[in-house]
Amino acid sequence: MFSMFQSQSQSHGGGLFAGYPALPGTYDEMFENGAARPPFARVAQLLAKIGMDELARAQALAEHSLLRQGVTFSVYGDARGTEKIFPFCLLPRLIAGSDWARLEKGLQQRLRALGMFLDDIYGEQKILAAGVVPAEMILGAAGYRASLRGIKPPGGVRIHISGIDLIRDPAGTWRVLEDNLRTPSGVSYVMENRQLSKRMFPRIFDAARVHRVDHYPTRLAETLRSVSPAPDGDTYAVVLTPGPYNSAYFEHSFLARTMGLELVQAPDLFVDQDKVFCRTTRGPRRVDVIYRRTDEAFLDPEVFRPDSVLGVPGLMRAYAAGNVALANAPGNGVADDKAVYPFVPQMIEFYLGEQPLLEQVQTYVCLRDSDRAYVLEHLGEMVVKAVDEAGGYGMLMGPQSTAEQRDEFRRRITAEPRRYIAQHRVELSSCPTWVGDRQSVEPRRVDLRPYILTSREGPWVLPGGLTRVALVAGSYVVNSSQGGGSKDTWVMKEPSSPERAARAEVTV
Amino acid sequence: MISRVADHCFWFGRYVERAEATARMLSATGSLALDAELPPAQVWRPVIVVSGEEDEFRARVAEGSDDHPAWGDGEIVQRFMVWDETNGVSLARSIMGARSNARSIREVLSLEAWEAINELHLWSSPEVERAGFTPARGSDEAQTQWAQHREGFYQQVRRSTQLALGLLRSTMLHDEPLDFIWLGVLLERVSQTARMLDVHHHAFTNLTPNQEIIETALWLSLLRALSGSEAYMKRSAGRISSDAVARFLISESAFPRSIAYCVHSAYERLCDIRPPEKHDLPGGISLERLRVLDSWVAARSKEPLVGRSVHELLTHVVDEVHAICGTLGTELLGAG
Repeated sequence: MFSMFQSQSQSHGGGLFAGYPALPGTYDEMFENGAARPPFARVAQLLAKIGMDELARAQALAEHSLLRQGVTFSVYGDARGTEKIFPFCLLPRLIAGSDWARLEKGLQQRLRALGMFLDDIYGEQKILAAGVVPAEMILGAAGYRASLRGIKPPGGVRIHISGIDLIRDPAGTWRVLEDNLRTPSGVSYVMENRQLSKRMFPRIFDAARVHRVDHYPTRLAETLRSVSPAPDGDTYAVVLTPGPYNSAYFEHSFLARTMGLELVQAPDLFVDQDKVFCRTTRGPRRVDVIYRRTDEAFLDPEVFRPDSVLGVPGLMRAYAAGNVALANAPGNGVADDKAVYPFVPQMIEFYLGEQPLLEQVQTYVCLRDSDRAYVLEHLGEMVVKAVDEAGGYGMLMGPQSTAEQRDEFRRRITAEPRRYIAQHRVELSSCPTWVGDRQSVEPRRVDLRPYILTSREGPWVLPGGLTRVALVAGSYVVNSSQGGGSKDTWVMKEPSSPERAARAEVTV
Repeated sequence: MISRVADHCFWFGRYVERAEATARMLSATGSLALDAELPPAQVWRPVIVVSGEEDEFRARVAEGSDDHPAWGDGEIVQRFMVWDETNGVSLARSIMGARSNARSIREVLSLEAWEAINELHLWSSPEVERAGFTPARGSDEAQTQWAQHREGFYQQVRRSTQLALGLLRSTMLHDEPLDFIWLGVLLERVSQTARMLDVHHHAFTNLTPNQEIIETALWLSLLRALSGSEAYMKRSAGRISSDAVARFLISESAFPRSIAYCVHSAYERLCDIRPPEKHDLPGGISLERLRVLDSWVAARSKEPLVGRSVHELLTHVVDEVHAICGTLGTELLGAG
């Protein structure tokens, strides 16, 4: 047994991973110097025993099951309403328990600070008075809504649901790449992916001792109820979707179904005397909490987009009067603005008096003269991002760019410096990934989006998250709109002695 | 429940039932065409008439003529009734309608019922997106079956829709959403039965007296098209007559596709949705109109059914159901 293990470790555990070509200068999530990382040795060994044919078959079955269940996203701009499945790789991404414990603390700390920052910005603005962050940076952010200043959200929570994008640098250090504090999506895939890996690899899953993720909807429903302005037990909460043509519609209906809430569209709601009602078959019904998955620009035409016919007229009046809770709160965009991101570590120190537990990526803010000069000088090495775009749009990938593209961005940055930030390209970590057209397992770059729910009691981190993978060889772009796929993320339980586990059960 | 969601439930039910009824009718007609020595147009034309798409067919397929051979061409009629997406009541359109309504209320349906209807859609849809995906079954299979085993094709559609309807009842809460789905199913079924009986009754009573054997074959075919031949035989001990079949399909209160049964069940569903004593709730006009129709149909079972009275009765039923669907829309389903 010992000798077999030895010889296997020479070739990445052999079998499925034989000849796995690690990417130079990149942290691989599973292997180090040709051997599985110690916490993953057992799981890697079991995975390695799956034959290439078996994996191909399991992969095809999994994809068929997604299509059959209609786990699809709508493709924009397609008149026939084409739907596609979100590409998925069955090989899981593993995270060690001890690693996760550190991440969890760091994420909770970050969410507490970001929540306090939003309260402050829409309140006294102490952080601006103290000169910790430049006022023009904050008040000039596209996501800052001056009209919301002074409004306290019901339950005192603003970032009920967040997704924080993390990457891992070549040294294996986790770094925050960006915060998503408005309407982060993807959590339904975390649960769907889990169902698939449990069904396809039950024995390996069992051996890995993985934290469960299927209680997310219950926790989300609790979170929503915790901020309700209605008395306990009387809350009527709904999920608000833009409709079946939205690319994330599957997720909206998934969450409504798994929470047992109704899925509404804006025309189903109306406001009367600053109270929100739903049009039902038994007449109007009062709504207390709205988990809104619509962009805030389309929430209330009275406030945000007078030209828009979408939305619920008067919704913001009802919100300001404290009669309805909105999750997430409108106005959060000021805190996840890409140009505000560089100041989050200062926020953590300012509000919590703590050192940040999570690293970030060094960011050049083009509004600053010195930063801008540096960026323009080094465009070919940098990743430039528009602060108000997401999904991998409005980006310049310096090292892969053409001279024309660089000229274009030089013009744009000079014209609107507030709109751009730049970072050095980080070598994202890689993960063994099934490559369908080559029928082989190869390293592909990944990131991680954990989901954090914040109730009245504070932030809770779902143990897992969406591992997004750049399926195209050599690519760094993990967005689903640009050829990205996903993997199940296995957060492994920390090894504990049987006695301890038994004691814990008795105390419960 | 939310009015818009109730509307999707109602239409989901109607489309599923319509898909099943269309498959059943085409399958029975195909079988009749093999048995009966009738002019082909007399076999196939009623299918188009029942569907209400006579004008559409004449204009687009039969080159504006009532004597065009297309009226008697089983293949042309079936393609029109199955695959033609311009035909609003084609099978393809009904399945698409059922699936898109279901997709809008996925959180309301049980996962199993949704999967049944989604699988039917994937199986039948000629343009399923399958990028990078190896299907175990897909539209190719449906096409092959259509070409090589027509009866199997219709059977597959019927089984899938029946599975969906069965799963709805066995896996969903028996409350408002299911009541609306079932209300849709029942009202659609009333119309289907009434139209089919009307068209056939009219055609059969115009046959010459020495065509009795053919008439028997036609009535049997109609009963089969309504899944009612076995039930009818149990009630009539093997005797077939025009009046007996008409009376069975109109008044047999124990047969789940008879007009009396469907109207009465629809009334019961609506009573659950909107209890008669709750005068402050919306839906009163629809409820009253359905109650009146229910007692009117019940009263007809005590009268003799002859000649034109059948046609008048059925016309009244179809018109009333149409009107009730309209008031349901404005009172409960958020229309207008």
